[in-house]
Amino acid sequence: MGKGREEARLGGEQHQHSLAEARDVKAWRMRPEVFQAVARGAVVTALLGVSILVGSRSLAHFDAALVAYTFSILFATFGLTYRYSMWLSRPPTALYWRRGWQAFFKKGWRLRNALFWVRRIGEDVLANRFIIKRDRLRGLTHLLIMWGCILAVAITFPLVFGWLHFRPVPGDLSLYEAMVFGFPAFRFPHDSAVAFFLFHGLVWASFLVLGGVALAVRRRMRDEGAAAVQRFAEDFMPLLLLFAVSLTGLMLTASYTWMKGYGFTFIAILHAITVIATFLWLPFGKFFHIFQRPAQLGVGFYKDVGRSEALARCRRCGHEFTSQMHAEDLIEVERALGYRYEIPGSPAEHYQWICPPCRRASFALAQSLLWRGTRGGERLAEPAAIAMPVHVNSCLGEGPLGSEDQENFHP
Amino acid sequence: MPVPEKNEFFVDPGRCIGCQSCVQACTECDTHKGQSMIQLDFIDRSASTQTVPIVCMHCDSPTCAEVCPADAIKRTEDGIVQTARKPRCIACNNCVLACPFGVPKMNTGMNLMMKCDMCYDRTSIGLKPMCASVCPSQALAFGTREEMARLRPNAQPLNTFRFGNQLIRTKVNVMAPRTSSEDHVDVTAAMYEPAIGHDVLDDVFAEEQP
Amino acid sequence: MKQPTHAPGLPVPGLDVETIREFGPHRAYASELRVDTGSEPENHVKTHCCFCGQQCGLKLKVRDNTVVGVEPWYEFPFNRGMLCPKGVKRYLQQAHPDRLVSAYERADTSSGFRKLGYEEAVARVARAIERIQSEHGRDAFAVLSGASLTTEKTYLMGKFAHMCLRTANIDYNGRLCMVSAAAGNKKAFGIDRAANPWSDILGAEVVLVAGANVAECAPITTNYIWQAREQGAKVIVVDPRITPLARTCDLFLPVKPGRDTALFNGILHLMIENDWLDHDFIESSTVGFDKVAAEVKAWTPRRTAQVTGIAEKSIRQAAEWWGQAKTSFLMHARGIEHHSHGVQNVLSTINVVLASGRIGRKGCGYATITGQANGQGGREHGQKCDQLPGGRDLGNPEHRAYVAGVWGMSPDDLPQPGVDAYEIMRKAHSGEIKGLLSICFNPVVSLPDNNFVREALSRLDFFVAIDFFMSETARYADVVLPGSLQEEDEGTVTQVEGRIIRIQKAVTPPGDARADWKIIQDIAQALGRPQGFAFESARQIFDELRVASRGGVSDYSGVTYERIEENFGVFWPCPDQTPEGVPPPAPEGTVRLFEPGSWNPVAKGNGPFYFPDGRARFLVTPYQPPAEDIDADYPIILTTGRVVSHFLSGNQTRRIGPLVDHAPEPKCELHPRLANKLGIVEGDWVTVESRRGTCTIKATVVSTIRPDTVFVPYHWGGRKSANQLTISAQDPISKIPEYKVCAVRVRKAETAPKYASALEAQQ
Repeated sequence: MGKGREEARLGGEQHQHSLAEARDVKAWRMRPEVFQAVARGAVVTALLGVSILVGSRSLAHFDAALVAYTFSILFATFGLTYRYSMWLSRPPTALYWRRGWQAFFKKGWRLRNALFWVRRIGEDVLANRFIIKRDRLRGLTHLLIMWGCILAVAITFPLVFGWLHFRPVPGDLSLYEAMVFGFPAFRFPHDSAVAFFLFHGLVWASFLVLGGVALAVRRRMRDEGAAAVQRFAEDFMPLLLLFAVSLTGLMLTASYTWMKGYGFTFIAILHAITVIATFLWLPFGKFFHIFQRPAQLGVGFYKDVGRSEALARCRRCGHEFTSQMHAEDLIEVERALGYRYEIPGSPAEHYQWICPPCRRASFALAQSLLWRGTRGGERLAEPAAIAMPVHVNSCLGEGPLGSEDQENFHP
Repeated sequence: MPVPEKNEFFVDPGRCIGCQSCVQACTECDTHKGQSMIQLDFIDRSASTQTVPIVCMHCDSPTCAEVCPADAIKRTEDGIVQTARKPRCIACNNCVLACPFGVPKMNTGMNLMMKCDMCYDRTSIGLKPMCASVCPSQALAFGTREEMARLRPNAQPLNTFRFGNQLIRTKVNVMAPRTSSEDHVDVTAAMYEPAIGHDVLDDVFAEEQP
Repeated sequence: MKQPTHAPGLPVPGLDVETIREFGPHRAYASELRVDTGSEPENHVKTHCCFCGQQCGLKLKVRDNTVVGVEPWYEFPFNRGMLCPKGVKRYLQQAHPDRLVSAYERADTSSGFRKLGYEEAVARVARAIERIQSEHGRDAFAVLSGASLTTEKTYLMGKFAHMCLRTANIDYNGRLCMVSAAAGNKKAFGIDRAANPWSDILGAEVVLVAGANVAECAPITTNYIWQAREQGAKVIVVDPRITPLARTCDLFLPVKPGRDTALFNGILHLMIENDWLDHDFIESSTVGFDKVAAEVKAWTPRRTAQVTGIAEKSIRQAAEWWGQAKTSFLMHARGIEHHSHGVQNVLSTINVVLASGRIGRKGCGYATITGQANGQGGREHGQKCDQLPGGRDLGNPEHRAYVAGVWGMSPDDLPQPGVDAYEIMRKAHSGEIKGLLSICFNPVVSLPDNNFVREALSRLDFFVAIDFFMSETARYADVVLPGSLQEEDEGTVTQVEGRIIRIQKAVTPPGDARADWKIIQDIAQALGRPQGFAFESARQIFDELRVASRGGVSDYSGVTYERIEENFGVFWPCPDQTPEGVPPPAPEGTVRLFEPGSWNPVAKGNGPFYFPDGRARFLVTPYQPPAEDIDADYPIILTTGRVVSHFLSGNQTRRIGPLVDHAPEPKCELHPRLANKLGIVEGDWVTVESRRGTCTIKATVVSTIRPDTVFVPYHWGGRKSANQLTISAQDPISKIPEYKVCAVRVRKAETAPKYASALEAQQ
């Protein structure tokens, strides 16, 4: 069984057909979007380049040994911007992007939104509350990896760009001074706990990441559910990269701390390769979610505003089921995508005005119409008002999966 | 190994008895243990015991995936429209509202859309999905076309559906009478139809009526 | 009358909150091991569902002595992996927080019970039995058993009562279930078993389902019926409610509860009138047709319609389809059997089958749908009040001698036939019966007029209950012994088709709990009467049962555990010896009864039926109205039944969270026309009141029920119990109570009942 799984995973991998990729391919023909994305990529990359020049005082504090890192980051920046721009050009994303900002800056909502923004950043982004709700262990896994990476990036990027460096305080050799953008920021004794903590920041980061990776791999190896749907490139590759980066980084520390620099150069090159590979992978693989995920915040504002305004009534059962704005936006998106859900001659006008339960009911009614006369059962008298279909088992987990689901399927 | 092509899913809501075996069995699936992805509704319980079990129909061109702003819904090469990718789904609800069959569910607490993936953990290794395994009425059935033709000689599978001007083709089939000349199921045409059943009054008070 | 010296523990029906707090029913959901998708089960145990009589094959996933889930058993031919929601979620009953893991005795504690060492509890039971039997005679101690037990256990219960206690008073809960069909079948065919395997449904041109909510009570049978329909069968359903199966049936006959005999007499009338008869068959294989024909002469369609409330055209249509069919299958269940004339109802359907001649052939069948797990096997081997193993009669000297021989005792020491389960309650109420041992039976929920049952139980001197959960009935016990769940023991059961199948042990009983048969043997030991109760395994019991059943109608002598496993079950009768010239049964036993030319030990070759002349009996079935008809005071018919998510008294299913969520509490179903008249709308609290009790529950207004009838499911206890309302009128032959008809009045309740705020929905 295990072997079959493995084959399923690998076989699927080869053929995996990604709609996103297919769309990106299509997008090459859509010149304006591509041009725009390339231009945006170039501008953002250039801006980063300039800030490196300025922040390092015209490369005065730039560590030449780190030049490969710098270029890989510049490339990743271009890639990310390009991909982000392409992503935003898709009809549903474009609309959500626009609507999200509109909702955020809506008059009378701004203060509230700003407060909510802070709260949601705290709860969802920093504390991963929604992941913890999916599963506590998975929440912990994600927290470890996320905070490990944030810590590592916070330390290394300024160093690589020459934005941050340390120097002994002239005149007092027992003190170090942190220089940020070339300006002195703070001082600390070189044998203090602070110094130990600061200079070993990357060690702590790799411990966090390794812990998280171990948990993630454990889950992927033993969880039947995960095994069924996981893909190598999508799910194992990122873990492998994180593992390689952390491990080679730790080997560097081990080499100069305990082994008198044994194999340091080799390990340094190995480390550079893993890190650079990770950066280059950023725009394409699973890591892109780091940049996509914040869209969740916009969704929150969109839903809040939608809920407070006019609600869409199902044009079959007459019950409210979502915001009118959302229904109208979806009609626009569906049209842009080439769907033709208009229903000529029907009071419903467009299928988007039918709530999900009534869609399911209509499906069954259509099938039973085909069987009329063949199977028993009559078309019952038309009721005064069409009833709202209800889940046979309406308890949470089996019917709706949560409060919002309940609302979708009628408040 | 993708889901073997010869095995197909066949839905016949006319057989459904609303027993909820599918709902209960669905919660036993490894990919979403404890939560059911099946939608089982009474169409109008006050008038009829008619129920409808809905699994994902796995559209050739899935509206849910197309309207997803986050590229979270993938369709594998064997035609299975997978549930939302957890890192990507931003819980915007587009898919829930746009799916023509009303399939996806929204798990707000988890910020995650969840839907039927035809028991990928089972079908990809040659087993039947949980719901179609247990379904006591076989309103949900999984097997080959040949088996179905043998078991249900008076029925034929259809997999094209009309919603207004839009035709949608799906991997999952619905059973229609063999004599039917329709090559698709017109869903929106039946939208305002009353439920199907028997009228108890017809018989009970026949004697009282002149 | 016994004084309630233990006031806090004496259950106030439905509101013994403290007892419920400690013993449940609480809802269990999957957690820990059961939701851990990372831990592979150690074992997949091929066994069967613990609930209804269909006994679907399934595989229990086991890990760490816990049943962690269910996997379909695709190879088992009856259900091929199909399961109803109860089968899917049954695993949650094991490792349940409410599980009794030690013995209890009644005590002056808040819950009414105190833990007790197992040996001490058994000793107390033995002392009480000894005392009651020596002071008041052997029959003063009664035994109530159940048909959800394995056949081995049911055999042992009969042996225990008849040989160890030597009391006449043993009966079982099949008395509320199968006995009308059993009596009818014995009278007409001389044997009590489904005549055909379910595979014969598939070849039928007409499938007639009478009084069976197949979709909810025997869900797997739905696929057989739909499969027949796919191949062109017409489906006729007789029911006062449009059940899920009836919704798309070809002909729906909304019979007025209690009028089934009239309907079938009316159909036979039309068959005779139109000569839709199999004269050859009637001539060669039956007796008594002429008398029946004379009886049904009066049942013109007009009169039938008037009595049954079914339109004349529908009756004519049914008779035409049934009469002209080449093949057919008639099945019925409690809907026609739970009546004070249940046997008549059954016989009236058999008359229609016999007149058509369509029985004993492929695609031509007749069966009752057994209700309980071992509804079939449990009624064959001696736990019925008048029965000995092998379907033998306790009143028959030859039969007594044979069984006494197997048991190594004198036939004279065997008691005479005793009384039925409800009569046992009446005798407990009157003081004639002083002590009671009950297992696998929850009469406080399941017997009609259960306010009377409560009184009867609290009048007992001593009551011991063996159960795995503290059932509503066990709460009245002086001592409760912790028995075993189905998955904690092995054995055999006989399912709806007459197929003997294997129940496998998946886990061991927790704590002080142990296999039921061991408890019984421990009691025999403690009584100082261990002879005949020294079995060391279920297999040993089965082997003795094989010998005890040899030569009887229910002959299991050729059945072994191995043969069952090799053939996915063995159909009885399956003798190990047949006379010369008679071929032994096939490896899978006797799959179909009454095949032309078949041999049986009663007819000895004279014909296919189990009478000396080998002929089936037409029996006259005069129509009688229900024991309690509606009147001005109680103008509405109450009928009771089941819902798909619960099983019988709900002692198990009301503890399984996902099933409770589906049907948390009973609801009174009523037609909009009636609801309008009474001013009731969906969701209102309504009080249903009969001459025996009242019950306040929520209303659901649906036009899928006759407007003169209300329906209440019976799975709940206490104040929610539908059986507070039902009548204890019984069939004179089978002694089955009339659950399906009594007179009530219904009104909108002023306020929610007191229990609504004190108890969870399922409690």
